[in-house]
Amino acid sequence: MANPLLADTPGEIHLLLGNEAIVRGAVEAGIQVVTCYPGTPSSEVPDTFYRLSPEGKYYFEYSVNEKVAMEVASGATVSGAMTLCTMKHVGVNVAADPLLTLCYVGAPGGLILLSADDPGCHSSQNEQDNRIYARLAGMPVLEPASAQEAKNMARDGLLLSKKHGAPLLLRTTTRVNHLRGPVEFGPAPDPGKPEGFKRNPSKFVPIPAFARPMHLALMERMEALREEAEQSPYNTVSGQGDLGIVCSGISRAYVADALDNAGLAAKVSVLNLGFSNPLPERLCLDFLKSASKVLVVEELEPVVENELRVLAQKNGVEIEILGKDTLPRYGEFNVTMVENAIRELVGEEVLPACDCEMPELPTRPPNLCAGCPHRGTYYAARKVFGDDALYSSDIGCYTLGLLPPLKTADFLICMGSSISAGGGASKVNDKPVVAFIGDSTFFHSGLTGIANAVFNSHDVLVVVLDNRTTAMTGHQPHPGVDKTVIGENDHPLDIESAVRGLGVTEIRNVNPFNQKKTVAAFEELKEMKGVRVLIAKEPCPLYARRVYKKVSPQVAYVADTCNGRFECLDHLACPAMYKEGGKAAVNPILCNGCMLCLQVCGHIKAKKRGS
Amino acid sequence: MSDTKKVRIFMTGVGGQGTLTATTLLAKTALSQGLPVTSGEIHGMAQRGGVVESTVLIGCASPKIGTGEADILVGFEPMETMRALPYLKPGGLVLSSTEFLPPLSVAMGQQECPTIDDIRKAVSACTDKVYFMASQSIGLKAGAVQAGNIAMLAALCAAGELPFGPEALAETIKANLPEKIQAVNLKALELGVKALEA
Ligand code: SF4
Ligand code: SF4
Repeated sequence: MANPLLADTPGEIHLLLGNEAIVRGAVEAGIQVVTCYPGTPSSEVPDTFYRLSPEGKYYFEYSVNEKVAMEVASGATVSGAMTLCTMKHVGVNVAADPLLTLCYVGAPGGLILLSADDPGCHSSQNEQDNRIYARLAGMPVLEPASAQEAKNMARDGLLLSKKHGAPLLLRTTTRVNHLRGPVEFGPAPDPGKPEGFKRNPSKFVPIPAFARPMHLALMERMEALREEAEQSPYNTVSGQGDLGIVCSGISRAYVADALDNAGLAAKVSVLNLGFSNPLPERLCLDFLKSASKVLVVEELEPVVENELRVLAQKNGVEIEILGKDTLPRYGEFNVTMVENAIRELVGEEVLPACDCEMPELPTRPPNLCAGCPHRGTYYAARKVFGDDALYSSDIGCYTLGLLPPLKTADFLICMGSSISAGGGASKVNDKPVVAFIGDSTFFHSGLTGIANAVFNSHDVLVVVLDNRTTAMTGHQPHPGVDKTVIGENDHPLDIESAVRGLGVTEIRNVNPFNQKKTVAAFEELKEMKGVRVLIAKEPCPLYARRVYKKVSPQVAYVADTCNGRFECLDHLACPAMYKEGGKAAVNPILCNGCMLCLQVCGHIKAKKRGS
Repeated sequence: MSDTKKVRIFMTGVGGQGTLTATTLLAKTALSQGLPVTSGEIHGMAQRGGVVESTVLIGCASPKIGTGEADILVGFEPMETMRALPYLKPGGLVLSSTEFLPPLSVAMGQQECPTIDDIRKAVSACTDKVYFMASQSIGLKAGAVQAGNIAMLAALCAAGELPFGPEALAETIKANLPEKIQAVNLKALELGVKALEA
């Protein structure tokens, strides 16, 4: 039986994650090619496509980074294939170069770029609002607020994109990606074969002479899409009243609940914008004229708000437009926040703030898992370099090395920056620089950093934390892996050869659980100059359990001889360890049996698991 | 939507505890009863031993619960119950585990956890609708630690604040969980309902 997400079963209702709903929508549109770079909160979209790929009728790939994903997707859509490309919001920065020109070239087969934005920084280094990219690039934007809409908009967006040859931005936020709701299925027709490429250089090769008319064509396309937005069922006016609210994305859900809670539906009219770019100007203008005052409810930047202000000014509509002067320009909204903003405007009493006093509770910061190999690498690095080195960090589980006692992250910018920013720092500091980068990140954007560092004679010790997978986003494969959940990797790339090919001569390989060798390698490399690379290779234990079916047969325990000096806890801080009655102890359920702590303190011993 | 009585459930626990699986099971149960349900979860970095928060909302459009908005607070770990108290509506229902999973700073002896009595006091200051249960032990008694979550859900369904009872949950378990773990979970369900009566 086909997986429900792929089956042609119109009318069925399933409870789906927003991200799974997007998959279903793409299947209903007849998706043919899916490319991505995983990143929370977008990851379940490609992961679901990947899992279903043996039975699906589409081509799927985890590309090495977002720029490459966008470029592969471009080649597919100009060849007439219906294409989806997924990434998190910061990934679009990486893909921006091909994206902006692809919007000139167009998407004959249809193309959606899914950008999963993250207001509130739940799992990201910034809160950028990618609706602004859509304005910069010239892309229509759909912004779902429920699982059902996520499905419908993925489907309708692909069809709309194909109709106009316009790459379209499906812009979600973390709450939408990670909500679950009922989704009613439509038909899932067989996508058939892509149309194939039709040669036409003036359309597909943006040399200046061709790019100029392409830009004009793009602007015309956007006007045609503005007409679509005027008619779109995703843009609706509801309720009635003097106060007007304009909202987009998940804010539409907050507004609906707020009005319902406050019983204000009769006093307020709402313009819901699900198809928010290009702005449906007639619809908005009529709405502005019908209200005495308008509140724009949108998370992050005042994108719609500013467009409405321009629209009003151009058309001589005198109306007060409120938005970011009332609601914050950072973080997420919630129902009460929105309800209070509305109450204030209609002159009703606002809800009291929660006044319960909470004592300070111990925090629960995320930590490297018990048995994480990165702990071994960081412990050794700290032993050799202590506070004397600058630690340049990167994006991945291993960023958690930031926390004490390991404290091995001094600065961090973006994927791949550890090597290049580390190189920059080495030019202006007298301290040694140690850069940490994961294996997936290495293939994403570490290779160019190495080439740059060698070419420009940077003085940096690069540590590749090779745990054989992309651990942080959910254990996706990358070019270096040998095995995946659904099979072997036919072309595993070797990191050492890659580094050597890029001109690095001093390379050491260690298993980070062998402390003696790891420390010795760090000491040796510390004495050298130039670009040196240490590859610390050992699979992530969570991944090893799932894919290699490998579980350590042993666990650690603390012998009675423990003298309470807590060398283990104070310097390793493995989450399986705790203090009890002045002595250290190990929770055998949490212990992953990496045997690192045995090398730190002689009073810790191994025993058979379960004994 | 507005004709369904709104119920907002805030759930909290520690990454790796199975909070999200429990959340989905509850949402599926609501859906099976024909209720308009939306649930939400926030994870990512938090998976590595951090706090995990999730929501189930019946009759609402939004997947998020702000402070003071939850009708029900389910805490799969007592300290997290306490941390999440500001989300509870005054007088709402609290269902919490009594068994601690100490965070690292506590395990290392740098900080102290509140005692279960501190937590009882803090909860009582907000509401009198309170149930505590040793969910992990109950899970173990049923046959698997993870089944403790089911015991909590069962107690929640039995507490009378939801538009359905434990039987609906039992049906969802039978329809959604692999056969070999159904018995353990149905046993946990039974123990959970009993724990509430005790
Ligand atoms: S062997 Fe030691 S360091 Fe490794 S997981 Fe177990 S307690 Fe932690
Ligand atoms: S998921 Fe794997 S790589 Fe990430 S912290 Fe845990 S053990 Fe380490």
